[in-house]
Amino acid sequence: MDWQALTLTLKLASITTLILLAVAVPLAALLVLGRWRWLSALEALAALPLVLPPTVLGFFLLVLLGPRTAFGRGIIALLGHPLAFSFSGLVVGSVIYSLPFAVQPIVAGFAAVETSLVDAARLLGASSSRLVLSLMVPLARRSILAAAVLCFLHTVGEFGVVLMLGGDIPGATRTLSIVLYNQVENFDYAAANRTAAILLALSVTALAAIYIGNRPHGGRRA
Amino acid sequence: MMPNRIAVALLGLMCFPTAMAQAPLRIAAAADLGPVLPPILEQFRQSTGIRAEATFEASAALTAQIQNGAPFDVFLSADLSYPKRLIDAGLADAAGSADSSTPITYAKGTLVLWAHKDSKLPPPSLDLLRSPDLKRLAIANPDRAPYGRAAVAALTSLKLYDTLKPRLVTAENISQTAQFVDSGNADAGLISLTSALTPRLAASGNYFVIPRGLYPPIEQGAVIVSRTTQRAAAHKLLDFLLSTPVQAQFAKSGLTPVH
Repeated sequence: MDWQALTLTLKLASITTLILLAVAVPLAALLVLGRWRWLSALEALAALPLVLPPTVLGFFLLVLLGPRTAFGRGIIALLGHPLAFSFSGLVVGSVIYSLPFAVQPIVAGFAAVETSLVDAARLLGASSSRLVLSLMVPLARRSILAAAVLCFLHTVGEFGVVLMLGGDIPGATRTLSIVLYNQVENFDYAAANRTAAILLALSVTALAAIYIGNRPHGGRRA
Repeated sequence: MMPNRIAVALLGLMCFPTAMAQAPLRIAAAADLGPVLPPILEQFRQSTGIRAEATFEASAALTAQIQNGAPFDVFLSADLSYPKRLIDAGLADAAGSADSSTPITYAKGTLVLWAHKDSKLPPPSLDLLRSPDLKRLAIANPDRAPYGRAAVAALTSLKLYDTLKPRLVTAENISQTAQFVDSGNADAGLISLTSALTPRLAASGNYFVIPRGLYPPIEQGAVIVSRTTQRAAAHKLLDFLLSTPVQAQFAKSGLTPVH
């Protein structure tokens, strides 16, 4: 078992999930509450990472973040090094890759908040940020939790983007899915089985803990 | 991709019962043959009437697929170890050649150092490998990609492996290694001559042939998958690959002929 890769993966998934929640909550609020007609186009754009095969998405990011584009040169000038083949590069890739998994459930959760409650809050003079933070976020907490869990797990299992953008550097970009893939490709099935079993056991335990902690007494719908 | 192809093939069979008689010869081909093999298979069809379709993948992935029953007739690997593994498992053979338990070497690979033309570093050479300005060198995964293994062997012969190790970025296969460099994210890469000679990379970069003595030869081996129903056609293809005109074509595409 490659503990360094496990730690790196958990770190990547945690950071990615936090960034995604910070981005997706305001974005989803804008998509649900906004009246601007082009918001539908924005919503479609936020779903796009689902369409591309992950390795292809990774390849586009590799090119975009590299020194052959103005955007990439800007980043290199800012950071002093290219984002590809670094941990921060993986964070950027993972945030883009998992964006739909954060946005979709939160939009659905916000949209399910009763209109009468939203109208009442507005009539009582609540600002948009107050409306979102004090009313919609608490009422849609299940959707937000679902989004967080999905983003975290999606990042743990992320492969194609990391493969293209990472360069398999131990301690920096070698995540557990890369280790697992390497073990399978090197015909080391025994090690692959062990790694996969530990990964599955950890995930099931963590998920069950979250769901138990979040289950109201007397059942889910009580 | 495979299930799709099978679905299309089944659909084709339903529409044209005559197509059943001529199932194509299915070739599992190493990724470095991607730019080389398609025109050769077309010539093969013209001269023999046998249609052959190739699937390009890393040799290791193809080996795992054949071990699990993938419907290939011929396996053209990028090295000898993977086809040998299939022979040892009784899943493939080199029947018809002098030694049926050794894969048939059909070509040899050449390792080159490749860099982009607009790189600020000196052009590819052994000096570039020694340059402290070389911050990132891309290689293919040495655990399984034959060119990656050759790259590590060459760097070790040059006594540069320990120095360069922290600066290596590892790609899954030889074409991804080239993408790391072509996209500007790595300064240079150790790739196959077949990749360096593709129009895209030939136009955008320069290469330096790594001296042959620095790494063990990258012998590319072929085997016939034992469960094939098209053994005669498979033999014809192997003979065709070893024929003088095809070997000459290999040489032009960056592979070294075996005779």
